[in-house]
Amino acid sequence: MLNVVWAYPDILNLHGDRGNLFAIERIAKLLGLETNVKKIENYKDKIDFKNTDIILFNVGEIKVMPNIIHALNSQERELKEYIEEGKFIILIGATGSIMAKETLRKDGTKFEGLGILDMQCIERENVYGNDLHFTLKENENLEIMANQIQLIDTKLNSDIALGKVIYGMGNNYEQTEGAKYKNVIFTNALGPVLVKNPWYTEKIIKTAMENKGEKVEESISKEQFEIEMKSMECIKKFIENKRKEE
Amino acid sequence: MEKIKFHVALIIGKLVAFTVNIISKDRGTNLSGRYAYKICKNFIKNFKKIDYDKVVFITGTNGKSTTNNMIINALKTAGKTVTTNIEGANLITGIATAMIKNSTITGKIKTEYMIFETDERYLKKIYEQLPAKNICITNLQKDQVQRNGEPDFIYQKIKEVINKDITVYVNNEEPRAKSFEDFAGKVVYYGIEKNDKSFEKNGFYDVTLPCPKCNNKIKFKYYNIDNVGKFKCTNCGFKSENNIEFFAKNINYEENTFECDHIKYTMNYTQPFFLYNYALCIAICKRFKIPEEKIQESFTTFKNIGGRLETIKYKDKEIKYIRIKQENPETLQSALDYVAQDKSNKILAIGLEELKDFKPYYTNTFYGFDCDYDELINSNIDKYICFSEAVAYDSANILVYAGVEKDKIEVLPTEEIEDVLNELDKYDTKNVYLITWLHAYEALERYMKKMQTTKS
Repeated sequence: MLNVVWAYPDILNLHGDRGNLFAIERIAKLLGLETNVKKIENYKDKIDFKNTDIILFNVGEIKVMPNIIHALNSQERELKEYIEEGKFIILIGATGSIMAKETLRKDGTKFEGLGILDMQCIERENVYGNDLHFTLKENENLEIMANQIQLIDTKLNSDIALGKVIYGMGNNYEQTEGAKYKNVIFTNALGPVLVKNPWYTEKIIKTAMENKGEKVEESISKEQFEIEMKSMECIKKFIENKRKEE
Repeated sequence: MEKIKFHVALIIGKLVAFTVNIISKDRGTNLSGRYAYKICKNFIKNFKKIDYDKVVFITGTNGKSTTNNMIINALKTAGKTVTTNIEGANLITGIATAMIKNSTITGKIKTEYMIFETDERYLKKIYEQLPAKNICITNLQKDQVQRNGEPDFIYQKIKEVINKDITVYVNNEEPRAKSFEDFAGKVVYYGIEKNDKSFEKNGFYDVTLPCPKCNNKIKFKYYNIDNVGKFKCTNCGFKSENNIEFFAKNINYEENTFECDHIKYTMNYTQPFFLYNYALCIAICKRFKIPEEKIQESFTTFKNIGGRLETIKYKDKEIKYIRIKQENPETLQSALDYVAQDKSNKILAIGLEELKDFKPYYTNTFYGFDCDYDELINSNIDKYICFSEAVAYDSANILVYAGVEKDKIEVLPTEEIEDVLNELDKYDTKNVYLITWLHAYEALERYMKKMQTTKS
């Protein structure tokens, strides 16, 4: 059984990212696993860290982040234990700021994050939107194709990048994409990223199961990901044409 | 110096307008204003004889043009004179163009009223030069994310404008719009009653939005249209008002009637979305003491010029063509709901494309995951055709996730309308729905004309 917490689904609801949850459920099913999803809807609700394998924080508006940080701070000890045990937290887009050291807003104010990821977030004056293509640092053969709607840039203070940018902006045009500490994963990738890149979703689920001593032997056949692979080829071609025009 | 610049700009603007008018009456909705702004940076601030109490801005994600056109039609029906950017040019240069056309050579506005659809992002710039006393906020939704990012990005831009000198007209059933009540001098609420087309969404995967006042979860008791309905914050008590003046009630879809402020109105357009526009139109008309019979008369003559639905004959097939303007979930959902209303067997060809709004172009389809597909899937679709060069497979995948069997989906990684029509030829089903972006329509029209010419 794969236990997933869908954190603040109504509050973190911007770019169709509920699809990330659908992807976890679908890929888990293809791996022969049952998924138990719990929603954490309100700030006062507590997360059952002990019985959770993956916590999904989808992308949300920057203004809600201080509320989420405050809520998570009330379970700080359990959260840190959960992270150190290597369990998964997935944070999409601006929501990554909850794990950052701090976030500087364009009105001059700032808020402190939980400091799990050694990075600083800086709100942009203008939105930046583009495709985002990168490989994982831990596995250069694993490609991720996604989109990016950037409202905050991220400055990594140490070598914690999740991936290396092939095309797009990534964190801040410096070729790094996202951040990772243990299995706390922050990515700018939208799409939803776990839908468009099921090979990554599969890897996350397998590692999450392995972490609790339930190794998944089964692998999903390439044919199952035919649509996603063809999508990636079409978009690579599209990016190639864009590059020619740039 | 400013005055001299204004007069020079006005004369040049009028010359441009005159020239454009000779070439084509449909063109140049921004052109005069663009020239005028090159000469005078506060151009519209310098016009005279403006009664700011009779200036109305209509802003928001959806419904700006329709409501704008409806209000203008009502005022004109009542014999009033109106300056407007009815042509849909909603930036400051569009407004300037309209004012150039409706002013004397000395810069006096010739009309009693000025009603403008205003782009949310440019509201501040426009307001600084033309301080309207009335601002309507229809709704604030996820929209054109490459420009707008998140709704709060736009929210803050509108908030910068709203002050105690302004009367806001806000949708009582849309949380973000309604929350501007805190910043205005006077608030007028409009809304519609729960009706036969209202619906509930209480499924596990249904999601709402954070409260614009306290960031906690908003709950909807029911929806009248997507993301709009009777709501309440789960924390701070922010909610739809119970008794509002401009409330469309006793909505009767068979008789095409509704009541508002004790008067029964007949409507030409019966989608719930239009009822919000009617209610807002009535609110503005009442503000300007337009007689009810004139409002009613205007509703019967109102034509939605922005309508994006057409029926095309293709061989033995009838293609119902829906054009969508923006990459937002509401627009796509409305198109899908329209298809789902027809329960007879049909083909759905859907051509979501990569976004080519401005550079860098990109391949966004994620808004598709905000839509619901159950009604569509249960409406007897024999075949789904997903086409577009870059995102046909992503579109197909959205359908797979929605529960459509893979063998019912044909993917065409092309934007050639000829290929899509050739694909349609393979099926016996005569009832076809086609959804594309606006510009794809032009390609289809060209192809159809070419076919007819070849035939004759």
